[in-house]
Amino acid sequence: MTKSINNKNDTWEIGGKTLNSRLLIGSALYPSPANMEDAIKESAAQIVTVALRRQSAGENAGGNFWNIIKALNIHVLPNTAGCHSAKEAITTAQMAREVFGTNWIKLEVIGDQYNLQPDPFETVKAAEILIKEGFEVFPYTTDDLVVAKRLADVGCKIIMPWGSMIGSGKGLMNPDNLRAIRKLFPELQLIVDAGIGKPSHATQAMELGYDGVLLNSAIALAQDPVKMADAFRVAVEAGRLGYEAGTMQEREFASPSTPTIGTPFWHQFK
Amino acid sequence: MIEIIVNGEKQNITFGINIKEMIKELNYTKEGFSVAINEIFVAIKSYESTTIQANDRIEILAPVQGG
Repeated sequence: MTKSINNKNDTWEIGGKTLNSRLLIGSALYPSPANMEDAIKESAAQIVTVALRRQSAGENAGGNFWNIIKALNIHVLPNTAGCHSAKEAITTAQMAREVFGTNWIKLEVIGDQYNLQPDPFETVKAAEILIKEGFEVFPYTTDDLVVAKRLADVGCKIIMPWGSMIGSGKGLMNPDNLRAIRKLFPELQLIVDAGIGKPSHATQAMELGYDGVLLNSAIALAQDPVKMADAFRVAVEAGRLGYEAGTMQEREFASPSTPTIGTPFWHQFK
Repeated sequence: MIEIIVNGEKQNITFGINIKEMIKELNYTKEGFSVAINEIFVAIKSYESTTIQANDRIEILAPVQGG
């Protein structure tokens, strides 16, 4: 049974859908298909990422995996992982739209094989064309403010800056950059995608005012993916609630929380 | 027969057949995948009207896990 989330009053709109959960989860790297299914349910995520890969003759066209995902009855977000040019990404997106029956596409155009950093030039080029073709583009990008501006300029309603390198688990490398993107684009849906390793990283992203968090490895590669999925569910909710509640202003000096009036044995420090 | 590349591997198929016939000849399942020829997507509705040419590079992709 799919877990319910606590903060039911918190709904948000993305890609024309109204959702409760702000956690987007990947479907790769789990110890087994059953474990993947259990973890996705435990996370209460309402969006799961999927991919396309070459099929061998005689195979059942990804049948078992796809049947599990379909039975979850949540939204699928196909990706263009592995593409290195706008052209490859556009073709992959068109193929994904047919197979998965959705106009959502997680646009990934990789510019460097070592750190899997997105190619901003090809990403913007692909995003512009895909939007004109009716796709709802979820672009994976760095935390570069100008790239985010370019993506917004070509019509992206959603932007997904990285926390850090894909699969690194390093968390948010540049919180100030992420904060700047949030400040510049209050109207866009912003999702931190990639680099999340611990639940606290997800909480931090949500506290920055991000609308959601997309992650895969942090759950799938945990010693207990199902329990970690629960941890991330709670962490994302906590971060969102914290953002909505409004965090206190940081101060440069200590300030006692216990009343100072009537302090016993009080004396002035010299 | 003509030689084509399917998912990166050389294959020989009957000359003059279309995508639908190629899928059957190569023993692919009937549904659940998508096809591109020379990096251009071909929709299902165009399978019967698209003839495979010699040296075509064909991708046949199906759902898998992804992040």
